[in-house]
Amino acid sequence: MGEWRLYGIFALMFFATWLTRGAFLLAGERVRLPAGMQRFLRFAPAAALGALIAPELVGGTGQPLDFLSPRLVAAAAVVLVVLRWRNPWVPFLAGMGVLLALQHLGG
Amino acid sequence: MSTLRMGLREGGREILAFSLGLVPWAIATGIAMRASGLSIGESLAMNVLVFAATAQLGTLPLLVSEAPVWLILATAAILNLRFVIYSAAMAPAFHDQPWARRALGSYLLVDVVFLVQGPGLLQEQDAQRRWGRFLGAGLWCWGTWQIASLVGIVGASWVPEHWSLGFMGTIALLVLLVPMCRERVMLVTALAAGASALLLRDLPLRTGVIAAVIVGLVAGYLFERRQQGVARER
Repeated sequence: MGEWRLYGIFALMFFATWLTRGAFLLAGERVRLPAGMQRFLRFAPAAALGALIAPELVGGTGQPLDFLSPRLVAAAAVVLVVLRWRNPWVPFLAGMGVLLALQHLGG
Repeated sequence: MSTLRMGLREGGREILAFSLGLVPWAIATGIAMRASGLSIGESLAMNVLVFAATAQLGTLPLLVSEAPVWLILATAAILNLRFVIYSAAMAPAFHDQPWARRALGSYLLVDVVFLVQGPGLLQEQDAQRRWGRFLGAGLWCWGTWQIASLVGIVGASWVPEHWSLGFMGTIALLVLLVPMCRERVMLVTALAAGASALLLRDLPLRTGVIAAVIVGLVAGYLFERRQQGVARER
């Protein structure tokens, strides 16, 4: 059971993704998205990303909040780099570099 | 050469330069899946079935902590909500296509395809060529994504665990979020959601994530209304 649980979840996630991408493609000409709804949905990605990233950087379930964590400092480096350069590799190199350096220094 | 084949080539060519930006992202996603404990087979299955990096990366912490299935699906769905907007915008380009094409198109409609191909496809009059251009771009991105992720999935085995490679997933999400936040209302939304996620982090079953997303949505909505109110008074 445990072994197949993940595959079952992936199958369900397939439908969750396929149906959102296909919402209006599959429905054909019958359905259109109201403008008010469209404005509200615009905020969903930023809200979801904020809610998912913050605990990873500052402290998640059962952990104390740490506003000086190596991960938060590394994330700050990533933000600076993304704002400055368009090269897609740089954020990963900068983020991992800072994180590993701080972890190394911290022992 | 048929208009369909012409379209396929054209689509591939149009997306080529942009698809290279997918490579680091795909490698990071592959590594993050392995680093959070998925096997090679599970990572491959997730990558082919879900084929949505943000939903994959966002649900990894939930999958690992054995969060309830409904919460994992709800989180994936919220991360996917932007696709509903793409779907609505692209629908006119698919109205004259048979169902099988619309079904396959729904699987291949990723961010970069929408952003690069969207405007051009909506103008394309020839239905065969339009489908060809979409399919060419979509398949090219799919292949690039799968191969680059495979590099990450397999390569992760050789990297020592204490390198914290799972952080690659967090970096990938940040790379997506930062450009959004150039718009003030998105920054407010993300900060409100992030702060709430921290405050609510000990709610049972990790439901704090969903609650925080709702706080973020409402904050964004209210902020935009206030901005528009101020603009009107001037």
